[in-house]
Amino acid sequence: MTAPRTPGSGELVRLVAGREISTRIRDKTFLISSGVILLVVLGAMVFQAVVASRANNVTVAVVGDASTLKPALVAQGHVVGADVTVRTLADEAAARRALAAGDVDGALLDGTGSSPRLLVERSPDSTLTATVKGAVSQVAVGRQLAAAGIDGLHVPEVGVTAIDPGGDPTGERTGIAVIGIIVLYTLLILISQFVAQGVVEEKSTRVVELLLSTMKPWQLLAGKVIGLGLLGLAQIVAIAVVGVTGALVFDLVSLPGQLIGTVLSVVAWFVLGYAFYASLFAAAASLVSRQEDLAGVITPMSMVLVVGFFVALQAASNPTGSLATITSFMPGLSPLVMPVRVAAGGAGWLDVVLAVVIQLVAIALVVRLGGRIYAGALLRTSGKTKLREALRADRV
Amino acid sequence: MLEFDGLHKSFGDNHVLDGVGFTVAPGSMFGFCGSNGAGKTTAMRIAMGLLRADAGEVRWRGAPLDQETRRRIGYMPEERGLYPKMKVGEQVTYFARLHGLDAGAAARAADEWIGRLGLAGRRGDPVEKLSLGNQQRVQLAAALVSRPEVLILDEPFSGLDPVGVDSLAEGLLEQARHGVPVVFSSHQLDLVERLCDSVGILARGRMVATGTVQELRRREGGRLLRVVVPDAGQGWAAALPGVRVVSERAGDTLLELSDGADDQSVLAAAVRTGRVTHFAWREPSLVELFREVVAVPTEDVAA
Repeated sequence: MTAPRTPGSGELVRLVAGREISTRIRDKTFLISSGVILLVVLGAMVFQAVVASRANNVTVAVVGDASTLKPALVAQGHVVGADVTVRTLADEAAARRALAAGDVDGALLDGTGSSPRLLVERSPDSTLTATVKGAVSQVAVGRQLAAAGIDGLHVPEVGVTAIDPGGDPTGERTGIAVIGIIVLYTLLILISQFVAQGVVEEKSTRVVELLLSTMKPWQLLAGKVIGLGLLGLAQIVAIAVVGVTGALVFDLVSLPGQLIGTVLSVVAWFVLGYAFYASLFAAAASLVSRQEDLAGVITPMSMVLVVGFFVALQAASNPTGSLATITSFMPGLSPLVMPVRVAAGGAGWLDVVLAVVIQLVAIALVVRLGGRIYAGALLRTSGKTKLREALRADRV
Repeated sequence: MLEFDGLHKSFGDNHVLDGVGFTVAPGSMFGFCGSNGAGKTTAMRIAMGLLRADAGEVRWRGAPLDQETRRRIGYMPEERGLYPKMKVGEQVTYFARLHGLDAGAAARAADEWIGRLGLAGRRGDPVEKLSLGNQQRVQLAAALVSRPEVLILDEPFSGLDPVGVDSLAEGLLEQARHGVPVVFSSHQLDLVERLCDSVGILARGRMVATGTVQELRRREGGRLLRVVVPDAGQGWAAALPGVRVVSERAGDTLLELSDGADDQSVLAAAVRTGRVTHFAWREPSLVELFREVVAVPTEDVAA
């Protein structure tokens, strides 16, 4: 048997982190929640893809002669941004049957006559109505002009020149950032809760006394936070990869570069947010000795996260408002608000740098103070420890 | 030598330890006794670095204990601590690794100790599924798995059935035979008397008695002589020089001899009365010694 060596800090932290990961990775709550998040992201994309494809495809049935109407419908569809398919049907009865079967979105009766009617199943879709109305009036105007002897009319075509060939990516980017924030928020809450539960578990089962006879509190805390953090990071990266791949495969985004940039910034902000909240949650959890008392001490911090989440959603529509601007620099809120503000075009790189620096300073403070509270409260295994007692307790 | 030297510790106004000190030689077993709240756990926690002493230190091989030397101590806290959902094998391996064994050695040592403590069949079970007695064995395996140089065990026998007590006692004696100094606290004084080479009794933050059980008996028990003389008349020993009659009932006499008194002259006096059915120095049990030294002095009670 080899003689025991003295493990260094790095090794102890690795051992603790390894235990956290191997325990959680077999934990049902973790596996189920990971699965659910992935399913939600996938589901949202499939939904998007279906909605997008449906909105862009309009099938119109024309009863009777469609020779003049067909090109007009297709052209008009192009104007409103829809791919129009035209089917010719013999009579109204056939049109009603096709509508009822869902084969067509609308049926145009007497399209070239004096009283054209559009049959729809329930309520008319605005794309459909616009397409059909436009086409019918175009055909009617053309015919009346022809009847009046005006022919070969020259209508100048408007040339379109895009000054930013990328189009307007802000909306798309904001959407991606909001989805990213939802995932970020969910994971921050989930993994920080894991940290808090782990701290209380070690206290309530008194295993902490055995652990602290072999290592210092900061090594235990660092191992726990890093281990679970890596797990959270792996999870958010997995979701990001699935999301980006899915978005590209389903062709949901026009600008893959923007998508990847936004996703990467969300992942980076997750790291900053997690370091902050995990330390806070761990310090708070170390004050209590039973899982039942945990909710009482971590609720205030969960509330901060919830507030950050809603402010971030608000920032999507108003990225330059004072609420979004101020909160995007506030430590703890910035990881949720800043990515949305940036995506929505409300913040430049200088703002991001400033927010990151503020957040890093806050992390340093929280780690120091939280570590002190944690070390002071960890061995007080009876009841609740007051914050002041924990800070004053002798640390060994 | 494992030395506890002049430990002082107060929590607020409560002086829990007031100069506690004792030494444990390698290969010997030290029984740490004292009433509830006497400060045994506090002294052990100081040794393990879980509390900081106000004054005094604990030394092993002449050097004060630090994080590194503590890693070579096997410790069993008073309140048992294990991860309830972690499997027995993984758990013991984990503690071995925290004590500095590499992965392979830790796994082998864990297997060995789990087997020796009769838990081989439960290796893959989460600890929470085990009976309390078996959890205690896992706890002991966690303390022994790293082949510690020193064992500090807080109430290792509490909650064990007699069979469990015997197997744990055997395990500890074996450690002591291999040269490991073993310190354990216990309320089961008969057990301490049976297992320990030396004993320390802690009361009101002070070591009120330390030494081998024999020494304690000689020192603390006084010189009590029990003589049974069925035919003797009442007060047969009253006039003997240096002898005080503690009690006398139908010839069953308990005598306290002053230092200079001669027990042989007492025997001669006894023989003169007729038959002598019992004549022996009385050996007080550890329980009696404990009661005697721990008893709160009368003036304290009055105060």
